[in-house]
Amino acid sequence: MTAPGEGAPDVLVSARGLEVHFPIRSGGALRRTTGALRAVDGVDLDVYRGETLGLVGESGCGKSTLGNALLRLVPPTGGTVTFDGLDVTGMGRRQLRELRRRAGMVFQDPFASLDPRRTVAQTVSEPLEVHGLHPGRQARVARVRELLELVGLDPAVAARYPHEFSGGQRQRVGIARALAGEPDFLVCDEAIASLDVSVQAQVLNLLRRLQRQLGLTLLFISHDLSAVRHVSDRIAVMYLGRVVEVGPAAAVAAAPQMPYTRALLSAVPLPHPELERSRQRIVLRGDVPSPSRVPSGCRFRTRCPDVFEPCPDVDPALQPVGSAPGHVAACHLHGVVGTPVDGSGSTPAASGPPGATASGVRGTG
Amino acid sequence: MSAPSFEKPATAAAPVLEVEDLRVDLRTPRGTAHVVNGLSYTVGPGETVAVVGESGSGKSVSVLALLGLLPARTATVTGRALLQGEDLLTMAPERLRQVRGPGAGMVFQDPMTSLNPVLTVGRQLTEGLRAHGPVSKAAARARAVELLGEVGLPDPGRAVGRYPHELSGGMRQRVVIAMALANSPALLIADEATTALDVTVQAQILDLVERLQSEHGTGVIWITHDLGVVAGIADRVLVMYGGRCVEDGTVDDVLERPVHPYTRGLLGALPDLAADPDEDLATIAGTPPAPTDLPAGCVFWPRCPVRGDARCETEQPPLAVVGRGGAGLPHRAATWCAEREAS
Repeated sequence: MTAPGEGAPDVLVSARGLEVHFPIRSGGALRRTTGALRAVDGVDLDVYRGETLGLVGESGCGKSTLGNALLRLVPPTGGTVTFDGLDVTGMGRRQLRELRRRAGMVFQDPFASLDPRRTVAQTVSEPLEVHGLHPGRQARVARVRELLELVGLDPAVAARYPHEFSGGQRQRVGIARALAGEPDFLVCDEAIASLDVSVQAQVLNLLRRLQRQLGLTLLFISHDLSAVRHVSDRIAVMYLGRVVEVGPAAAVAAAPQMPYTRALLSAVPLPHPELERSRQRIVLRGDVPSPSRVPSGCRFRTRCPDVFEPCPDVDPALQPVGSAPGHVAACHLHGVVGTPVDGSGSTPAASGPPGATASGVRGTG
Repeated sequence: MSAPSFEKPATAAAPVLEVEDLRVDLRTPRGTAHVVNGLSYTVGPGETVAVVGESGSGKSVSVLALLGLLPARTATVTGRALLQGEDLLTMAPERLRQVRGPGAGMVFQDPMTSLNPVLTVGRQLTEGLRAHGPVSKAAARARAVELLGEVGLPDPGRAVGRYPHELSGGMRQRVVIAMALANSPALLIADEATTALDVTVQAQILDLVERLQSEHGTGVIWITHDLGVVAGIADRVLVMYGGRCVEDGTVDDVLERPVHPYTRGLLGALPDLAADPDEDLATIAGTPPAPTDLPAGCVFWPRCPVRGDARCETEQPPLAVVGRGGAGLPHRAATWCAEREAS
């Protein structure tokens, strides 16, 4: 999809120093803010036009919040997001509405994300009405038919209600709705997580077909690394609010360069008994730290099997790693690059988030 | 891992569990649902049997039935299920209560369904310990701390005083495993026990169960839809579809040399981390049959990509031996295809 080496790739969505911090309030009547939960904490990420970017990480790492923040479904508390060159963070009402048309979302739970009292036709045609597309009843009906066929549903189901469908069929309805506005960009947030294996395969195949057929740009958020590897051109790995490794899918899956990615990949159970018996599994110690108490320096250092001196003192920046072009990781094993924790004299990172990255507040480990 | 025996499997030691022709019918508003239809298997000491299948295949109901956890009013359970020689299905309720715990422990998918949110972890652990033997409060507490240490909870001395909400998902599941193992059961039943957990935490839990199992010689029934997990922990695998066992055998036989078209379909539908993803995934057309309306012949017939003659449609294929695995354990499949392929 992307052609590395042919100059700068065409970026559709871009985050720089993106932060989403949620205030933690005390329980008392004054509800004072006593801290911040740093769900997304300084993310630099580009999504190239026409690619599928897989976003992986464990629960609580901030991957869903990042997806939401890119579409401004949650307001960022710092940094910037641009969509096709437009500043998403500063968008007014009208621009935001256009963004909603051009960027769709497919949610995890097809049981919760469809209105049980609306027929499939009503659900799928709502975006058409909101955005004034295909005006006229007949044109809309025709468009709904077209959309249902596109996602592999019989157009005759248009008059039915969600409860009449299986999980996989509901997810197809959800995808049809997301595609109604002819978006450029689709965020799939755990879109296959609640489906059975054989149905997952159907939805994965569908997403891949749609992506090629419609030239969509996809952000595929999932905790399932095998599925991500299957659909993605590039993979980004998140840990505790930060993107810690990004690269071509084959490179990240076969030659991960950050110890966290390595551990994550080694923990994925593979359906091959012999391989499983011989495989060396990296079992991480302990749990992910709370995003309200992020470790200083490298945030993975408390669980990292390869931790060494600079890790608590320097917050690592993404740097080129491995042999594949475009493969970057935030890890001092590849050379100490990043922002010293005391806040003095930062090594130039990709682009410093403006002003306060709370690096001074981070305390010493 | 099971001790490989020569001719007849599972004779070296008496099996922990012997299930024979287990059938479960549930009364529903839409008629009788035949959820489990003649399931037979054994679990040896120290052996892990994985039961795999998609939602609605009857895998969970089949173990709930064993422990008498189905509503008596709507469920009809028949067959035999000998736990260390005693039939669980005909057991008096008081006896069954005694058996749950020291005989068979159970771990469910969501740890919060097994934990009481208003009691400390220690209280819940000691309750189980004291219910099954004369143990003093202090001794039970000491054992609780020991158990929490065994399942790898950091600082077990403090953890006993904690409430479930103060623990992460992985830690809660460890507590539930500690509870299930508190009375050193002969059999551990894990129903999607790691499904809700992240892969790194899942790896920790799988390691833990394997270690505890080899230390105590516990027989394990591991119910899951994740064939990757199966490959890592199971000795033998039983594939369920439409309430029937459609294929069983050693983990190598079933996952590397599957015979039943359903098993093949499931494996083909898995995205592979190690493979090049250029091709589309194989899918299984259609949806699983409703347990109220099972097909007359082969249960998989309506969705089968290789269905053949009228026999598939009308005659139920028996679970027949199609080969023998490494330790001489039979590899069986309920399909007419194997016969057709052979001829």
